[in-house]
Amino acid sequence: MGAAGSKLEKALGDHFPEGERYFGLENFGNTCYCNSVLQALYFCVPFREKLLEYYEKNKNPVDPEENLLTCLADLFTQISSQKKKTGVIAPKRFVQRVRKENELFRGYMHQDAHEFLNFLLNELVDILEKESSATKDSSENSSSEKVANGPRNGLANGVQKEPLVTWVHKNFQGILTNETKCLRCETVTARDETFFDLSLDIEQNSSITSCLKNFSSTETLNAEDKFFCDKCCSLQEAQKRMKIKKPPHILVIHLKRFKYIENLGRYKKLSYRVVFPLELKLTNTMEDADSEYSLFAVVVHVGTGPNHGHYVSLVKSHNHWLFFDDENVDIIDESAVQTFFGSAQEYSSNSEHGYILFYERLTSETS
Amino acid sequence: MHRVGSAGNTSGSNRPRKEKRLTYVLNASDDTKHSAGVNCLAVLKSNGSCRSEHLFTGSRDGTLKRWAIDEEAGQAATCSATFESHVDWVNDAVLVGDHTLVSCSSDTALKTWNCMSNGVCTKTLRQHSDYVTCLAAAGKNSNIVSSGGLGGEVFVWDIEAALAPVSKSNDGTEEEASNGISGGASNLPITSLRTINSSNSLHSTPNHGYIPTAAKGHKESVYALAMNDSGTILVSGGTEKVVRVWDPRSGSKTMKLRGHTDNVRALLLDSTGRYCLSGSSDSMIRLWDLGQQRCVHSYAVHTDSVWALASTASFSHVYSGGRDQSLYLTDLSNRESILLCSEDYPILQLALDDESIWVASTDSSVHRWPAEGHNPQKMFQRGGSFLAGNLSFSRARASLEGSTPIPVYREPTLKVPGVPAIVQHEILNNRRHVLTKDTSGSVKLWEITRGTVIEDYGEVSFDEKKKELFEMVSIPAWFTVDTRLGSLSIHLDTPQCFSAEMYSADLQIAGKPEDDKVNLARETLKGLLAHWLAKRKQRLGSQSSANGEVQSVKDISARSMTHSRIEVDGSAENDSMIYPPFEFSAVYPPSIITEGSQGGVWRKKITDLDGTEDEKDLP
Repeated sequence: MGAAGSKLEKALGDHFPEGERYFGLENFGNTCYCNSVLQALYFCVPFREKLLEYYEKNKNPVDPEENLLTCLADLFTQISSQKKKTGVIAPKRFVQRVRKENELFRGYMHQDAHEFLNFLLNELVDILEKESSATKDSSENSSSEKVANGPRNGLANGVQKEPLVTWVHKNFQGILTNETKCLRCETVTARDETFFDLSLDIEQNSSITSCLKNFSSTETLNAEDKFFCDKCCSLQEAQKRMKIKKPPHILVIHLKRFKYIENLGRYKKLSYRVVFPLELKLTNTMEDADSEYSLFAVVVHVGTGPNHGHYVSLVKSHNHWLFFDDENVDIIDESAVQTFFGSAQEYSSNSEHGYILFYERLTSETS
Repeated sequence: MHRVGSAGNTSGSNRPRKEKRLTYVLNASDDTKHSAGVNCLAVLKSNGSCRSEHLFTGSRDGTLKRWAIDEEAGQAATCSATFESHVDWVNDAVLVGDHTLVSCSSDTALKTWNCMSNGVCTKTLRQHSDYVTCLAAAGKNSNIVSSGGLGGEVFVWDIEAALAPVSKSNDGTEEEASNGISGGASNLPITSLRTINSSNSLHSTPNHGYIPTAAKGHKESVYALAMNDSGTILVSGGTEKVVRVWDPRSGSKTMKLRGHTDNVRALLLDSTGRYCLSGSSDSMIRLWDLGQQRCVHSYAVHTDSVWALASTASFSHVYSGGRDQSLYLTDLSNRESILLCSEDYPILQLALDDESIWVASTDSSVHRWPAEGHNPQKMFQRGGSFLAGNLSFSRARASLEGSTPIPVYREPTLKVPGVPAIVQHEILNNRRHVLTKDTSGSVKLWEITRGTVIEDYGEVSFDEKKKELFEMVSIPAWFTVDTRLGSLSIHLDTPQCFSAEMYSADLQIAGKPEDDKVNLARETLKGLLAHWLAKRKQRLGSQSSANGEVQSVKDISARSMTHSRIEVDGSAENDSMIYPPFEFSAVYPPSIITEGSQGGVWRKKITDLDGTEDEKDLP
C-alpha cells in the first residue's frame, strides 16, 4: 500500500496537483462495482465540490440522520482531507448504507456498476428533495426553481408542487425529445424525457459517434404498426426519432454490453470493440451549436461474462490519467485508454472493456 | 400520442372468425356536402356546351361527389351525385375514357364508377395490401391507370380489361391473359397474386380474372404518381425521396432521379413525358429532364411542404400548393413566382381548368380561384412577384425576415360548401351520448342510439362541457367510436356489443313495463335496420307469413344470442317495434359498413338498403 502510493507520488513528482488526493478504495468482497463508480464520481470535480460543500453545511446537524448523501459527502470529505497524498481508504460506512438502502446490493454476487450509478444518483435526488420540502414546510421561503424530473405528487389542494432542481440534476440531467411525425399531415408530436445517462446499443467495430447516431435514428411506424395521428384522427404512417434536446453538463454514456440471448436463456457479455474519443462532439442536438465534451473517466468491466468479473476505473485528473483498481492506483499513459475499447475478435485475451464513459462539457458553466 | 397496432384497413381480416363488426356512420347533413377534407379533384368538361362542366371530389369522409358547375346559373355548384362505397379516406380519383371515374382509398381498394350515374360502384379492384394513396391516368384516349400506395406497391391497370365481365375460364387461362398484358419477365403478376394470398385470406380471387401489372422496385411507401398522355412513362415518388421512372407497359424500371431531401408528395409529367415536375416535403419544386436524366431546375417557392401541383399544357408554368396554405404560380423558365391566394387550410390537391383553378384542402369545402389557363403570363403583369431561389426552405428564411408576399386574390370565385369535420370526441359515461367538437369549434352532443344531435352548444370549451356533463354512472362499453371519416363512426362488435342494458323506465319508453330491460345494441340495430326489414318483407312478399316480420327479428336476435350470453325474455322476441329512443332519422340517414359473407366490406345508407342484402352479413 504505502509502497505503491509512494510509487505514484514519485511518478508524479513535482507535478502532483496541489490539494489533490489519489486514494484507492478497499474491496469488501464484491464492491468493485461501487469503488469504480465512486472514483469516477470523485473525479467529477463539480459533483465532488457540491458534496464537500454539503458536508461543510451539515457538519453538526440537529438531526444526525444518516443517509446515502451524508455517507457520500462524508467519504468524499474523508478522501480530500487526508494528510497523505496517496493511500487506501475503506468506504465501510458508505457500502453499509448502500446495502441497507437497496436489497439488490445486499448480496455478495457480482453487481452491475451502471445499475449502481443509476440508483445512487436517483437516491441523492430523492434525499435532496425531501430535505428541501422539509425546510420549506418549516420556513416560509419558497426556494423552488425550474422544473426538473416532471410533476411529483401534488399537494392536498390539488396544486402541483414544482419539483426541485438539485445540483445532481444540474450536473447530470439532460433532456431527450421523442419526435413523431405523421407522414400525411406532417405534424410533429414531441414528448420530452429526462435522463441521467444514455444507454447505447453497440455493434462490433463501431464508435460512440455511430452508436449515438443509431440512437437518434429514424424509426418508421407503418404497415400493421401505424401511428394514430390526432390531427388526422386516423392511423397513418409516421416517422419517429429521438433527439437530444438539452445536453447535460456531465454526459454519462452506458454501453449496453450485457445482452439477453434468447437461445441461451441468459445474459451474455458483448466484448465488441467500441471506440470512444477523448474529445466528443455532440452534433445531433436541438441546440444551435454543437456541444463539445472531454472524457474524464471510464468505468471498465473486466471479464468474459456478466456474472463474474471485475470493475476498474480510468480517471483523468489534472491532465494525467490514473488507473484505479480497488486499492491500487497507478499512473497510465493517455494512449493506454485505447486498450479498453474492446475486442475485434470474439475470443481474445483482452477482457477489459470500456463500460461507462464520463464526459464533461467544455464550454458551459458548471453549477 | 400513442401507438396503436392494427391493420390499415377495416376489412376485419385479422379478426377471429366468430366476431363480427357492424359500423354505422352518423351523417351530420344531407348528401349534398362533404363532411371531411377533400383529398382529390377531377374536372370533366362537357363536350357540348362550353360553359357547363362537372367537378368530381374525393373526400376523407369516404365518398366522392359530382358537382354540376353551371356558370349561367349564378356561379353555383350543385351536388348531383354521391359515390358511396369506400369505407375509408378516398385518396385520389381520375377520369378515364369517356365516362369512368376511378377512385382509390385507404381501405386498400380501387373502385370504378360510371361518372354520370347516380353513384353506383361498377367494380371494386383489390390488389393493394395497404392504403392506396395515389392514381395516375394516361391521356384521354387511353384506358391505362396506375395506382400507388404504402409499402411501395405500384400497379398498372388496363381499366377496360379490369371492367370486362368475368370469363368462365380457369386459373390457367387467366394467368396467360395477364401475362400477355405484363410482358416483362421480372414482374410476373403471379408473384403479386401470391403475395395477396399469403397476406390476406379475403383476397383469393381479387379481380375475377384480371390481374394488373406490378411495378416493383420501391422499397418504401409511394405518395405520388404521374403518367404521360400516351401511357408510356410512369413516374412515382414517396418516402424514399427519389423519383422513380417506369415503363408502365411492362412494369420495368427505367431510371431513378435523386435530389429531393424529403418525401415526394406531388408529381406531374408533361404530355410527351420528357419533363417531370415534382413537389416535396422539403418545400422544393423540381423540374427534371428525363431525356438527360437529371434535375434541371429547383424552385424554392413555398415555406413548407409542397403537396399539390398543376401545370399548363405547355409546362411553361406551374401552380403549386401545400402545407403553407398558399397557392403560387411560378414561371418555370425565369423563376418568377407570384402568390395567387392564401387558403385557410393546407392545400391537398389542385385541378386546373381553362380559366380557373380548383383548390382542395383539409377543409371539407372546395374553392375555385381565377387562373389564366391559356395565358398565365398575364398574372405576372400585376406585379408583386419574386424570384424563387434554389435552396430548400430559403423562402421560409426570407419570410422570417419580413418579406411575405401579398396574394393577388382575396376571395375565391366559387365555394363548394362542406360541413365541418369532427376532430375531437368523448363518449360520455351513460354510453348513449357522445360529445364532439368540429373544425369550426362547434361543440355538439349526439345521441348515438338515434344518430342525431340532441344539443348544439356552439363554440364553447370542449373540456369544460365534458366536465359539466360528467355523470357518475357505469354502463358497459358496448360500442367504440372513431372520427376518421370526419363523422362519428360507431362500431358494434359481437359479442361485447350486447353487454349493455337499461330499464325502459330510464329510457322513458311509453307503453312498456317500467322494469323491462332494454338491450341498447339490439334496439339500436333494430332502429338502423327498420327500413331494411320493411323492404325485405316487401320483397319476400307472399313468402312471409304472419310471423314473417317477427321471424326476421327473431332470426337476428337468435343469431346474436348465439354470440352473446344475454337472455332475452320471451316477450322481447316478438317485439319488432322501434322505440323512440332508437328511431333513426330518415332525413340524414346513417350509413352502415359491415363485412359481407362473401368477403369484402360494403357500405350503404340505411335508407338505401333494398332488402337484398344478405341477412348473414348483419350481427
